[in-house]
Amino acid sequence: MTTMMEHPAPTSGHSPKVGIIRHLNIFTAFALGALTAIVVWRLSLSLLPADSESAPLFTREDKITLLSMIGWFVGFMTGIGALVAPFRWVMGKDLSHEENMYLAGKDMGVKRYFRYTTDHKVVGIQYLVITMTIFGMGGILAMLIRANLGTPEGGWIHPQAYNSIVGTHGIIMIVGTIIMVTGPFGNYIMPIMIGARDMAFPRLNALSFWLIVAAAIPLIWGQFIGGISTGWSAYNPLAGQAPLGMNGYIMFICIFALSTMVAGANITTTVVRMRARGMTWNRTPIFIYGVVASVALALPAFPVFFLSQVMSGMDRALGTSFYDTARGGSGWLYENLFWIMGHPEVYVILIPAVAALMEMAPVFTRRPLFSFNVAVMGIAGICGLSVLVWAHHMYMSGWAPLLNAPFMLTTELISIPTGMLFLVLVGTLWRGRLWMTVPTMSIFALLWNFMIGGVTGIYLSDVPADAFLHGSMYVTAHFHYTLMGAGLTGAIASLVYWFPKMTGRMLDTKLSWASFWLVQIGFNVAFIGMFFVGLQGQPRRVEAYAAIFNKGNLVTSIGAATIMTGMLILLAAVIGSWRNGVKASMNPWHAKSLEWTVPNPVPLENFETLPVVTEDVYGYGRKSS
Amino acid sequence: MSVDTHANPHHEHPDVVGSRNRLGVILLIVADVAFALSMVFTFFYLKAQNVNEMWLPAATEENPAITPVSSSGAWRITAIAAVGLIAHFMALRNVRSGNQSGLKTFGLMAFIASLFATVLQIQQFGTVPFTFYSGAYASCWYLFAVMNTVHLLLTAFISLGNWNRSRLGLYKADHWHVDIVNVWWVWMVVSSLLGAFSLSFA
Repeated sequence: MTTMMEHPAPTSGHSPKVGIIRHLNIFTAFALGALTAIVVWRLSLSLLPADSESAPLFTREDKITLLSMIGWFVGFMTGIGALVAPFRWVMGKDLSHEENMYLAGKDMGVKRYFRYTTDHKVVGIQYLVITMTIFGMGGILAMLIRANLGTPEGGWIHPQAYNSIVGTHGIIMIVGTIIMVTGPFGNYIMPIMIGARDMAFPRLNALSFWLIVAAAIPLIWGQFIGGISTGWSAYNPLAGQAPLGMNGYIMFICIFALSTMVAGANITTTVVRMRARGMTWNRTPIFIYGVVASVALALPAFPVFFLSQVMSGMDRALGTSFYDTARGGSGWLYENLFWIMGHPEVYVILIPAVAALMEMAPVFTRRPLFSFNVAVMGIAGICGLSVLVWAHHMYMSGWAPLLNAPFMLTTELISIPTGMLFLVLVGTLWRGRLWMTVPTMSIFALLWNFMIGGVTGIYLSDVPADAFLHGSMYVTAHFHYTLMGAGLTGAIASLVYWFPKMTGRMLDTKLSWASFWLVQIGFNVAFIGMFFVGLQGQPRRVEAYAAIFNKGNLVTSIGAATIMTGMLILLAAVIGSWRNGVKASMNPWHAKSLEWTVPNPVPLENFETLPVVTEDVYGYGRKSS
Repeated sequence: MSVDTHANPHHEHPDVVGSRNRLGVILLIVADVAFALSMVFTFFYLKAQNVNEMWLPAATEENPAITPVSSSGAWRITAIAAVGLIAHFMALRNVRSGNQSGLKTFGLMAFIASLFATVLQIQQFGTVPFTFYSGAYASCWYLFAVMNTVHLLLTAFISLGNWNRSRLGLYKADHWHVDIVNVWWVWMVVSSLLGAFSLSFA
């Protein structure tokens, strides 16, 4: 992308004059959060009256647990400094330029990663670390599941604990995959890619990250008070009868939904209002479309999930009856609300990952993106249809059987815009002179994995086939092929591609190749095995199974161990390269998008002078470029 | 390469900053709209299903029949919120025409209206003839009431800040904050209206 420059950034020679902000960090946040939770817990223990006889079971204990978790949340957010700016606004004492620069982490070194820092690059790194932590925890839980399924009898883990491990693995992996591209790369790379100095709302940016940290504690807390024994979907009325740990899930989702909404508004505003001069919609990189589509889908979808959990919490703690059939509620209500969020969420995960690979395809083939317009239409088509397919998760629930056929149709229609994205990737690769890097091979891996995930999805969208396959390991294998086989592949490729810009160092080539092959081979072994046991009839979420499924489960366990090995190698590559890797040049891939025009390390305000875009970002192989 | 040095990014035109902030608030409201519409869906879904005829449970030996409360309370709160919106709109008109004292007066009125509506809403909790356990209608009533309380508290907080800032003369140079607070006021009244409308069909 050819650029000209405008608007020089001023330099500040003032010494920071900051008040309470100076004293707030992750330690004060944890301390205040814990203290508030303990105080609320003690107060509610002594002050809350006993429930009346007509109250459903557990309401007092649920009230105490939820109130303590809310106390934790308020204390943590106060301790990290999230409430300083709103209260200062009310008092009419807006943050000064010095305070804003202090909040941005100017000259603060490594400490800025442990504060309410507003610099989008710091937030991007924070997201990267938390995503890797989430995947680490989710991966350990996955290995515990595989260990228990090592023999048909299971029994190594107590069934209740096993159920909780499955549920926790599910929900944290879903959250991890939701943030894995838009979190680290949407925050670090996206503003630079569009030629902006920061996000539109830097404080909301920090807020979206710290909300996730705040959300994690109730989920962990929940593990010690009964866990999440319902699976990640937490269907009601089952969740209403689950142990106290369910409150951790409820709080986790409510806080995470807030984070998603804040991030969605922030990212969308940044892209709509802050693109560089000359960056028309036709010159806006496809990755930006992917990120915006993802957060724009999440923006109206997650509040619905939020509400479903608010009502779940009210049923448990106050004794209302939204989902209790005996008292006028409906389990179908929960299923509808959950899947109205749940299916768009699949595309919230997939679209940015695929868009990232579409961004890389022209770089490593040295060819323009094959039909930019088709790519945009594909993304828009998926977004539009994804909100009209939720009930395909409920074919067999008995809800509105007459609607099965329309939902089958809309679900199968979504393969058309998805096919458009395939077309763009294949068209870009076609007859290109490939530069064989991990991102390049990731495109092939995505095409393979997503093809299997997509084709098996068509069977599941088909009502008669779903009657046989629903609730089986086949479903589990299918969604792993889409979310992990396609989504995670795109995220890892993004990490390899943008690692030099984010850290100033190249990711170790040998280790990243080794990781790539181990993860991809292990992945296909694991989930092909799972498809087979699913087709044979093994239900999902069981801790023991019939001997007939033994071989398939053994194959899956071998594959899972291979994936784990590959991921550990990737972790070693990231840590090793970050500390001692080969220093990266400003533009090691010779790419044309704006993030490669800024030096390493990226300056606090990204651009000394704001760029003006004058050319197509994918103008590879043309004489003028 | 060309360099344009006459514009300083730290002194962006207030209209640019205001327009960006306005879009951000509208997007956050979009999320809240989804939340509110899901509540309305919940209300009418449970009412239409009337599972086990427990939308409004009939009388038993131990408990009297549950009857819906009059929706006039919800409409009254909405009307007060609407008065607050009108007051805030007048404040906005005044600041647009450079009248700072009008801004302060009407800003204060809007704040008082939001406080009054909040107090009324909280007071309602103690007056309803049912508990949380009294069937699906009661559950929905509490949901609407709790969410309206949260909205009103937030509005009171924002209105207090808005009035205080106008008192301190912070809107003399530009007034995009007041503009954006007006957007929130409009949505708060609409959401309250949605609740009152739904509760009218108990």
